[in-house]
Amino acid sequence: MKLIKYKNIALLLLVSIVAISCAQDEQPGDSQLDYTQPEKTALDNWIATTYLNPYNINVQYKWNQNTVDNSRFLFPPTVEKVQPALEIVETIWLKSYATVGGADFVKKIAPREIVLVGGVNLNSVGTRTLGIAEGGQRVTLFETDYIDQSDRENVSEFIHTIQHEYIHILNQHKPFDEKSWSAITPGGYVADWYNYEIPESNEIGFITSYARSNINEDFAETASMILIYSKDEYAAFLDGIEDPAAYAALKAKEALVVKYFKEAFDMDFYALRDAAEINTSTVITN
Amino acid sequence: MFLFAAFLALQLSACDNNTDAEPKFDQTPTERLNAQKAELNEALLSSPEGWKAVYFTDNTVLGGYTHLFKFAANGTVEMASDFDDVAKTYLSEVSEYQIQLGSTVSLVFTTKNKIHLLSDSNDYPIDALTSEGYRGDFQFLYYGQENGEIIFRTNRNNQELRFVKATKEDWDDLVLNFDMIPNIIGDPTLGLYRGLEVNNGTTKTTYDFNPFSTVTRHTTITDAAGSYDMGIGYAPNGLVVSPPVVVGNQKLSNFIFNETDGSFTATGTGSVSASIKYSDVPFLLTDDYKILLSGRAYSRFGYYTDDYTVDAATNSALFNEEIAKIDASLPAGQYITGVQLYMNHSLGNFIYYTFVGRGALQHFVDVQEDVAGKKIILKHKSWNGNTTVATPAFLASFDNYLMDTNGIYVKKESFKLGYSNTVYTFKSLSSTFRMTTWQLN
Repeated sequence: MKLIKYKNIALLLLVSIVAISCAQDEQPGDSQLDYTQPEKTALDNWIATTYLNPYNINVQYKWNQNTVDNSRFLFPPTVEKVQPALEIVETIWLKSYATVGGADFVKKIAPREIVLVGGVNLNSVGTRTLGIAEGGQRVTLFETDYIDQSDRENVSEFIHTIQHEYIHILNQHKPFDEKSWSAITPGGYVADWYNYEIPESNEIGFITSYARSNINEDFAETASMILIYSKDEYAAFLDGIEDPAAYAALKAKEALVVKYFKEAFDMDFYALRDAAEINTSTVITN
Repeated sequence: MFLFAAFLALQLSACDNNTDAEPKFDQTPTERLNAQKAELNEALLSSPEGWKAVYFTDNTVLGGYTHLFKFAANGTVEMASDFDDVAKTYLSEVSEYQIQLGSTVSLVFTTKNKIHLLSDSNDYPIDALTSEGYRGDFQFLYYGQENGEIIFRTNRNNQELRFVKATKEDWDDLVLNFDMIPNIIGDPTLGLYRGLEVNNGTTKTTYDFNPFSTVTRHTTITDAAGSYDMGIGYAPNGLVVSPPVVVGNQKLSNFIFNETDGSFTATGTGSVSASIKYSDVPFLLTDDYKILLSGRAYSRFGYYTDDYTVDAATNSALFNEEIAKIDASLPAGQYITGVQLYMNHSLGNFIYYTFVGRGALQHFVDVQEDVAGKKIILKHKSWNGNTTVATPAFLASFDNYLMDTNGIYVKKESFKLGYSNTVYTFKSLSSTFRMTTWQLN
C-alpha cells in the first residue's frame, strides 16, 4: 500500500515539472478579474473606523444574495437608516461587553459579519423573524428601516434581537449546560409557540412564548430578556409570577445563565446587565 | 501500469498547442463575463433620460408596476415608480446599484428604493400573498440587448424583464398613470358589458373582460373554453397588459385609451388590433341560461334592496330607476325588498316580489329556451295562481322588462358580492335593464 502511495507522489512531481517547463513561453499577465474596490461612501468609511478596524467585524448593508435567504421577500436598508442602527448596536452590545468582559472580549468572540436587512422577515404563520445567528460567524438583523430611536419599545425590540443573537453566537462558541436546562421545564416546549400569550408562557416558567420553541431559544431568550430589563423591571416581572413552580423555574434558568457566563467567559452576568442598562438609557435618551 | 500510461499521454499532449478542435469562443469565460459587465454598465449609462420598465412580478395574480431608472457612473440610481400614489412613489429617490458578477452578470439595486416596495414580506395585497409582498425582485440577470432594449431575467423566478429607453415625458407624466385608473376600472354608463375584441385582420374573436381589481392590478378574460390571466400596468395614455394578447405572430400589449367611448385599443400591423370596449350586448354568449330551463334541478336567484346586491355595479341604471319607480308608486310606508326567481320549484316557475308593508307577489311564468340566441324568454302565466288578474300597476313597468318578448340573457359572473354565493345577472335583450342576483339554491 505504502509503495503505491510513493509512486503516486513521484508521478505528480514529474507532471508538475512538465507543466512548468511548457509555461515559460507566456508569462502570466495581470489578473483578468476586476479587483478594484468600489468607491467608498462616507458610511463605508464610518463602518471601517467603527466596526472593521477596532473589532474586525464586517458590516454588510448592501444587498448580497449570498448572505440572505432568497426564498424570502426582503429588501436592503435605506442608506440613511444604517448608521443609526449600527450606533445602537455599538453602544448597547459592543460597549457593554467591553466594559464587563474586557476590551478584547468581543474581538475574540464576535460574529465576523453583521448583515442588515431593511424589511420585515414575515413568516407564513404571521410571526416575524427579527434576527438570525449563523455558525458563530454571522448575525443578520432585520427591520432596520423601522428603527425609531425616540420610541423606547421599538428600540427595546431591536436591542433584544441583538442581545438574543449574540447569546447564540456565545453558545455556538461554548455550549451551555443543556442537560440541566432541559430538566427544568421539559413539558413546555412546543412547535406552535406563537399560539400562546406571553403571560400564559410566563406562568409555566418561560420568559417569553418564543422561549418555548426549544432549549437553545429558551436560553437565548432568558439571557437576552434579563439583559434588556433593568434590574428593577426584572424584579417586578418576577414578583408578578403567580405560580410558585414557574417562579422557581425562571430562577433556576437565571442561575444557569449566570453560571454559564462565569464558567465559560469569567464574566459577571449581573454587571453586564447593569452596563447594558446604562447604555440602553444613553441610546434612548439621545 | 495504468498510471504509467496516463503519464505518457500527458507527456505527449502537454506541449502541443496546435489542437485541431475549433475554439468555441475567442475569449475565456472570465474575459467574456468582464466584457458583458462592461457592456451592461455602458448601456445603463448610455440613455440620457434613463430607462423604463413595467415590471409584472407574477401575471397570474398581479399586474405591472412602472419603474423609471436613471443610472449614474458613481454607482447611484435615481428611481420613481407608480407603485402607489399615497407614498408619492412617483417622486424620485436616489439609492445605490451594483453590477455584480456571480454565475452571470446581474444588475442589483443594493440599497432601498422604490423597486423594493414590491419585495416587502410585510406588505402584501391579498392573503394568498402573505409573506410574499408583491413577489418582486431587484436582482436582474443580464441577457443582452435587442432593438435598443436591455433584456434581463429576474433572479428569483427567471422572468423576462425589459428595460426600454425612457424619455423626459416618461418622468414628467408618471403621475398621470394614477389618472388612468378610473378608466381602467370602467364606467357602467358606457355599456353594460365589457369585453376584449381581437381582430386578426379578417375575423373578430371576443372575450368577456372581467372586473378589474386595483388591489392586485389583475383581472381575467373569459371565453367559452375558459379564463385567462391579464395583469395590467398603468400608462399615462392607456394601459399595458401581460401576458400580451397574441394574434398570429404579433404580440399586443400597449393599449391606448379612447376618451370618447372609454375603449382601450392596441394596434398591430395588417389590420390586427385588440380592443377592450363596452357594449350593451354580451361579448360572450354562454350556456349559463340553461340552469333555468324546465327539467333542471330547483334553483333560486335573489336580488335584495338591503344587501350587497343593491350595490352591484352590474345593476344597470335603468334597473335601479325601475326599482325606485316601484317604491315611488307604492303608498307611504311600503317599499320593495327583493326580487327572486324560483325555477323548477315544486310550485312551478315564478318571480317572487317581496315588500315591506304589503304581502308578497308571485308572478308565475313559463320558461322558453332560445337555443340559437342562447337566452330564455319568460312567458306570463298568472299572478299568485290567478290567470285573469292584471299585472299590478306599480309593478308593471319593472315586470315588463323581465317579460321581454325578445328574451333575457343570463350570465354567471366571475365576481362575488360579499358572500361566497355565485352571482348571476339577468339582462333584457330590448333594453339596458340588468339585474344582479345571488344564486341561493
